[in-house]
Amino acid sequence: MQDYIDNYEYDALVIGAGIAGGESALNLANLGHKVLLIEKDLTIGGKMIMLSKVFPTLDCSACITTPKVSEIARHPNIEILTSCEASNIIQKKEGTFEALITVQPRYVHVDECTGCQLCEDACPVIVKDQYQYDLVGRKAAYIPFSIASPRAAAIDIENCTLCGACERACPTNCIDFTQTVKEYTIKCKTVIIATGFQLFDPTLIPRYGFGRYKNVITSMQMERQLAPTRPFNTVLRPGDGKQPDNIAYVLCTGSRDKTIGNPICSQVCCMYSTKQAQLLMGALPMADITLYYLHIRAFGKGFNEFYAQAQSMGVEFVKGKVAKITEKENGNLILRYEDINGNVVKETEHDMVVLSVGILPNIGIRELFANIDLELDEFNYIKQTDVLASPALTSIEGVFVAGTASAPMDIPDAILSAGSASAEAANYIRKMSEMMISV
Amino acid sequence: MAADNKKTVLIMKEKRTVSQEVKNQLKFFTQTKKKILKELKEKEMTVPELSKAIEMSETETLYYLMSLLKYGFVETGEIDDMDEYFYYKLKNNG
Repeated sequence: MQDYIDNYEYDALVIGAGIAGGESALNLANLGHKVLLIEKDLTIGGKMIMLSKVFPTLDCSACITTPKVSEIARHPNIEILTSCEASNIIQKKEGTFEALITVQPRYVHVDECTGCQLCEDACPVIVKDQYQYDLVGRKAAYIPFSIASPRAAAIDIENCTLCGACERACPTNCIDFTQTVKEYTIKCKTVIIATGFQLFDPTLIPRYGFGRYKNVITSMQMERQLAPTRPFNTVLRPGDGKQPDNIAYVLCTGSRDKTIGNPICSQVCCMYSTKQAQLLMGALPMADITLYYLHIRAFGKGFNEFYAQAQSMGVEFVKGKVAKITEKENGNLILRYEDINGNVVKETEHDMVVLSVGILPNIGIRELFANIDLELDEFNYIKQTDVLASPALTSIEGVFVAGTASAPMDIPDAILSAGSASAEAANYIRKMSEMMISV
Repeated sequence: MAADNKKTVLIMKEKRTVSQEVKNQLKFFTQTKKKILKELKEKEMTVPELSKAIEMSETETLYYLMSLLKYGFVETGEIDDMDEYFYYKLKNNG
């Protein structure tokens, strides 16, 4: 993998290198098309590479993602740029596209970094590690995480003290503080948008106390605690390092909630909470796990069996709407909720609460396009103009959508969606190529 | 191409100044690291014990302790008799 591009003409530009973008790029590359895959983050693999296991099979997420990511990174027909974004995308008269690609400096030459981590050892700074969702620190010279691709260091220039220790420690001289922003104007025949989703910020529901009560965490923070590359030695309360033994999950946090502007279901929070509950039963065999839910939506293949399996393992499912959470002096949390079946208001005490956060569309995608309008749906996802027959089609001919950029969905559906987008894109490339030959 | 003289940071220093906040953060971490390592040199401790010893909140203590664990200064010991808190000790780096 490099931090520059060799060509300025591609068959396809794929925006977003998560599982949907990566799959789309790989499908097109395997058909012989030249693909430029761009990612705004330092690594490819998206959110999936950060997960512990996948539901309902409980397969290791990293074990599925890393071979795929490796295949993408090594494919001769795919060029990858990280830390970069596309803008000013223009559709030409004949239907092809031009785009401006802006690459932020990493201050490390990716192709020369061996991932030895000597720079990381030498760096004296500690700041919150965004890849561990702030549960632990990282250095200012750092490799994002152990299975990152590219496994290359980056310098967090905002938090760097410019002491030069990383540069002195680097055995390959790959650290380069003279790097600057690079811009490329590229041409391509088609564009696939696979920009994924963002997680709901639970500070927008102040009554749940996230950010104020240290033992209220998000499901993604719990996901990290359950992953092999976890921030702590085991599952711990961030408030005091206690091993929890009575954990509550609040489902639908930030989804199916008109008051915070997101009335739709996240499609995944029921099942990922059920998965985490099962994993917690393994990690903390003595712990009580309770899920507070509105409805369990076990709609996929094997989902209902997975839900029944969690029940048989002893996970308690309470049909209840949590009104508020308060903190006790010892860090325990009181959940006040409406017991929907019993039609009464109840309070229960737990020593840790996990907010099963919903998913939201990424904003600003529409603004990538200069002379054409990319339509969004009523929930601000990219509008699918023929959702049943051709779900990858958007309002712009030649621009296709893959994965959660179009709607909330789980991993298998995102991969399926990537298949649809790459098939449509391949067809469009063929059309464009034929047209160019005839002209 | 990478720089040959290993001094590209000097060029950056001419263009950019380090904020006082970043300098303060570094100072605070260095002091905290020293305090934690000094206490753990005496004996193994749980997070609440260490928090009391270094006069820092338990949340912050956990954060810095786990960062030191990540970078190989500290290792995990046994769990206490109540199965609640783990003990942490200095890592024997040989």
